[in-house]
Amino acid sequence: MSRLEAEDLYKVFGRRPDEAVEKLRRGADREELRADGTTAAVIDASFSVESGQIFVVMGLSGSGKSTLLRMLNGLLEPTAGHVRFDGQDLTELSPRELREVRSRKISMVFQHFALFPHRSVLENAAYGLEVQGVSRETREQRALEALELAGLKGWEKSFPDELSGGMQQRVGLARALATDADLLLMDESFSALDPLIRRDMQDQLLELQKTLKKTIVFITHDLNEAMRLGDRIAVMRDGRIVQIGTAEDILVRPANDYVESFTKDVDRSRVLTAGAIMGEPENGYDASRAPATVTADTPIIDLFTPCSTSDVAVSVVDEDGGLIGVVPRARLLAVLGEPVGVSADA
Amino acid sequence: MPKIPFGNWVNDVVQWLLDHMSWLFDFFQSVFDGVYNGLDDVLQAPPALIMAAIFAVIAFWLRGTLAGVLTFVGLGFIDNLGLWDHAMDTMSLVLVSTLIALIVGVPLGIWAARSNRVSAVFRPVLDLMQTLPAMVYLIPAILFFGSGAPAGIVATLIFAVPPGVRMTELGIRQVDQELVEAAEAFGTTPGNTLLRVQLPLALPTIMAGVNQVIMLGLSMAAIAGMVGAGGLGGDVNEAIGQLNVGLGAESGIAIVILAIYLDRMTSALGRQVSPLGRRAVAKLRATQGLNIWSYRPRPAVAVIGVVILALVAGGMGVFGGSSSSTASGGDATNVGKGRKITIGYIPWDEGVASTFLWKEILEERGFKVDVKQFEAGPLYTSLAQGSTDFQTDSWLPTTHAQYWKKYGKDLEDLGSWYGPTSLELTVPAYMKDINSLADLKGKGGEFGGKITGIEASAGESALLKSKVLKAYGLDKEYKVADSSTPAMLAELKRAIARKKPIVVPLWSPHWAYSEYKLKKLKDPKGAWGKGDGIHSLSRKGFGSDFPQVDKWLKSFKMTEKQLTGLEAEINKAGKGDQQSAVRTWLKSNPGLVDKLAPVQKQSMPGKGKDPVNVAYFPWDEDVAATYLWKNVLAKKGYSLHLKQMDVGPVYTGLASGDLDVNFDAWLPYAQKNYWDANKSKLKDLGTWYSPTSLEIAVPSYVKGVKSLADLKGRGKTFGGKIIGIEPGTGEMQILKKDVLPGYGLDKEYKVVDGSTPAMLAQLKRAYAKHEPVAVVLWSPHWAYSTYKLTKLADPKKKFGEGNTIRTISNKDFPSKYPQLTKWFKNFKMSEDELGSLEAEIKKAGQGREEQAVSTWLKTHQDVERRMTAS
Repeated sequence: MSRLEAEDLYKVFGRRPDEAVEKLRRGADREELRADGTTAAVIDASFSVESGQIFVVMGLSGSGKSTLLRMLNGLLEPTAGHVRFDGQDLTELSPRELREVRSRKISMVFQHFALFPHRSVLENAAYGLEVQGVSRETREQRALEALELAGLKGWEKSFPDELSGGMQQRVGLARALATDADLLLMDESFSALDPLIRRDMQDQLLELQKTLKKTIVFITHDLNEAMRLGDRIAVMRDGRIVQIGTAEDILVRPANDYVESFTKDVDRSRVLTAGAIMGEPENGYDASRAPATVTADTPIIDLFTPCSTSDVAVSVVDEDGGLIGVVPRARLLAVLGEPVGVSADA
Repeated sequence: MPKIPFGNWVNDVVQWLLDHMSWLFDFFQSVFDGVYNGLDDVLQAPPALIMAAIFAVIAFWLRGTLAGVLTFVGLGFIDNLGLWDHAMDTMSLVLVSTLIALIVGVPLGIWAARSNRVSAVFRPVLDLMQTLPAMVYLIPAILFFGSGAPAGIVATLIFAVPPGVRMTELGIRQVDQELVEAAEAFGTTPGNTLLRVQLPLALPTIMAGVNQVIMLGLSMAAIAGMVGAGGLGGDVNEAIGQLNVGLGAESGIAIVILAIYLDRMTSALGRQVSPLGRRAVAKLRATQGLNIWSYRPRPAVAVIGVVILALVAGGMGVFGGSSSSTASGGDATNVGKGRKITIGYIPWDEGVASTFLWKEILEERGFKVDVKQFEAGPLYTSLAQGSTDFQTDSWLPTTHAQYWKKYGKDLEDLGSWYGPTSLELTVPAYMKDINSLADLKGKGGEFGGKITGIEASAGESALLKSKVLKAYGLDKEYKVADSSTPAMLAELKRAIARKKPIVVPLWSPHWAYSEYKLKKLKDPKGAWGKGDGIHSLSRKGFGSDFPQVDKWLKSFKMTEKQLTGLEAEINKAGKGDQQSAVRTWLKSNPGLVDKLAPVQKQSMPGKGKDPVNVAYFPWDEDVAATYLWKNVLAKKGYSLHLKQMDVGPVYTGLASGDLDVNFDAWLPYAQKNYWDANKSKLKDLGTWYSPTSLEIAVPSYVKGVKSLADLKGRGKTFGGKIIGIEPGTGEMQILKKDVLPGYGLDKEYKVVDGSTPAMLAQLKRAYAKHEPVAVVLWSPHWAYSTYKLTKLADPKKKFGEGNTIRTISNKDFPSKYPQLTKWFKNFKMSEDELGSLEAEIKKAGQGREEQAVSTWLKTHQDVERRMTAS
């Protein structure tokens, strides 16, 4: 069973939200509701996240992704639908039980860090444990460990306003990690950072994830980030999830023009893999002359150098070394230019 | 459209509240008064300079050296101006108001921050509170809370609560929503979110609110002075009322100094209490390095400083709370003048009772009394050595014979104050057929053969067993069950409650006799022997050291009823409360103190009466009359609490019973409207000065204007204006309604509404510049002796007959103070007397009225005799 499941989630702001949900179910769209003075932030969202996965929700501002995230830990109560985590339906819990779940099982990292300015770095990192009622000694010990994981050893006594943005977000990350929660909700956590630092943080998150194996729901408006981090990606538009799939699915098989328009800015050479663009080997293809032999999940950026040295196509093999396809030079160049073309072959 | 009777509605509501909710207002009044007096006592206790030093150390701690020095200089200046006491009154008023404003305001602010609806409801209410002119609610405040500090506090509260609410709400709403969300995301409860995130982060703003509350409170100080809250506000009012600009400035500057001090301290405190502020300050200091002027000690150092100063103050013997009780006695009764007497006592009922009785009496007579508890032996030793002055519980000649034999030569016997004592067996009164020891014979079965005894070692037990029982042949039938005195008494109580037979050894005097209906068994055979007398003994030489006390003790006598009554009272109050029990008992035995410890003095009919609350206007004749009465009545044992107030509040206060008397009622005309509004609740105690007159006056350099008729056609000269006073006063109404039309001046002249001080200021200005001016004035008034003025004649008698100056009181006053009422009714002063007294007071200057009256009385003893003739 999936670790986290969202089922038919609706969130409507305004008066008589239940009626609005009914209207939406009957097919009314967002604009009609707006005329009534209600806002449908999330409409009929369903997805599931496996344990240890990073699930990215991608969408522009106003698409409802932050609202969706806040329903996952009950900061916002869904107007309709269910959220199940570890088999427990969060929408049925009392406020008190919900707080208990939030304090032990789900933590959150915020866009603008949301560090408490009146607390030191250590006290910030220890906050979640303090809420749990862990003794001072234990919680400071664990907060120190979390800070070390986040690469902030030696900064415990500082205050948030003395740190750079990247370091502040590391504190935010440490605060979320310190509670040992299994589910990590990250709300545009790297969006406020400089591009270089953002990249660093992404790398660090992936590095941490290798050992920690948390279940992560990550919100972003940046498709590159989504593609880098996400095991699976949900694209949202106007409150609805328009596509869920792997990075490649989104790029190679966009569900509609909207999704496709997003993919234009993506660095395809890093996202597309040899397996996605390979074709059948022509008759008489001699694998031994191939300039390189790669696996299906090699990003195509690694194919350019071999292709430039030889006319022979690069061979793609499976785990046992069996040939499963080839990538000729012409094909490689073509997929960079024409986004849709690849989907036909795959 | 008919006028909406809004005013009537308000009147109805106020009346309803007065009728039905007065218990609530009384409760608040006593709370406010209690807190205010408590704080004021603390602030007033140390000498001014030590208190100033304490404030300076606080400033030193919060803001640094320079602030500390300036604080000391500023407060020293206030002390130098002679305004220290009043400054502390104002400080207490403001601090108490601030405290209450915060207790009310912060929770309301939190509530408003959490609910938009609440916030929307609060906003107009807060606007109303802040903008409603203070005068509008000052009078109702008196109706509800009485004059003085509580009304001042309420007035201040109405004004000062809004910023507390607003700033708290603002502070909380300003906290970054993401931070609140973060707290919630980690499972923080709403309460903890408030305490751990919102309030700490809102604290700087809330402290800014506190600061505002204090500042607004101080700005209300002057207005609170109008309702008798006293303090610097009272000084300002008085000064302005007498056009004493200098004194007004002095009090004003004192308020400013307090304001600056409190402002700087609370803003610094804001930085201290908020974690963010503390860090900002620390950073600043780190960059600045050490600077002598901004150096600040650590809190521990500051606390030590304050404690040391407080100890110094304590060491000077000024922190004692009991000082008031000795001071109130007045000169004649202050025999002790603070000299110390030590009384020793044995913890037996009659010893405790008589000792604490004397402690109370001697303290009232100005002695400092120490009581020490002893066993019998050590007590005699201590007396013989002279370390104890006297004791009152010596059983002679029998019981204490051995001690007397040993120490008698070093002691003085001051005689027996109670006697004879007796030992006896006692039964409850319901034991009908047992009246004498002989009756016990044959009744052993009824009593279970038991006499519930006391300590086996007691003389009485020995006597009972060895002699008494045998003498009546009871020794076979009864067994004495030894226990202890308390056990015996408990057993007795229990038996009485259940109407069971019981027989116990007891002695007289004993409180049990007044507590229960008991019967002493007759001793026809005299087996108990002859009773002792209870003697007072003193150390040798006591008589010459304290001749007066010696005399009192030698004539000390108590009846059995008195003694057992006192013992029962003390018993009821319990240990540690003996003295208050004595006080309670003395109240039910009035005059006893004077009988036991007589002092030569005039008759003191006012002794023990509640202080009389006298309100006065800052007008010369009222200051004179009021302080004169205060002086004269003090010698008769009355204490007068003086409150300086405005006309409206005085009438309101008198009507509500909060004030007792005012000596300056201008009736029947000038204060007619006030009188009419309240007359059912007031009493007119008669005229003490007449005649007075209302008039228009012009400087005598304005030639050709001698009468009101002469004003006609000279409108240009006077700019068409007559400078008036408060528009509500009777004189102004008569002027506008009758006088001006009567002389045909109403078209030509406009009456300028204003205030008495403003009118006097205008007169002074015009006089200095030799300009024509016409002002509304009355006689007697000091302006006539200061300036050369012409009272305009009123041939048509439009101003009406003159007022007389009367004494008015609350309607219950005559029944409560019949003697005072008689004296007030007979009170008369001639123009010479009043004039010379006013002059004397003016010469002495403000704040020295009492000395001035004393001086004046020396040459006017006849007036004093006349005032209190019986």
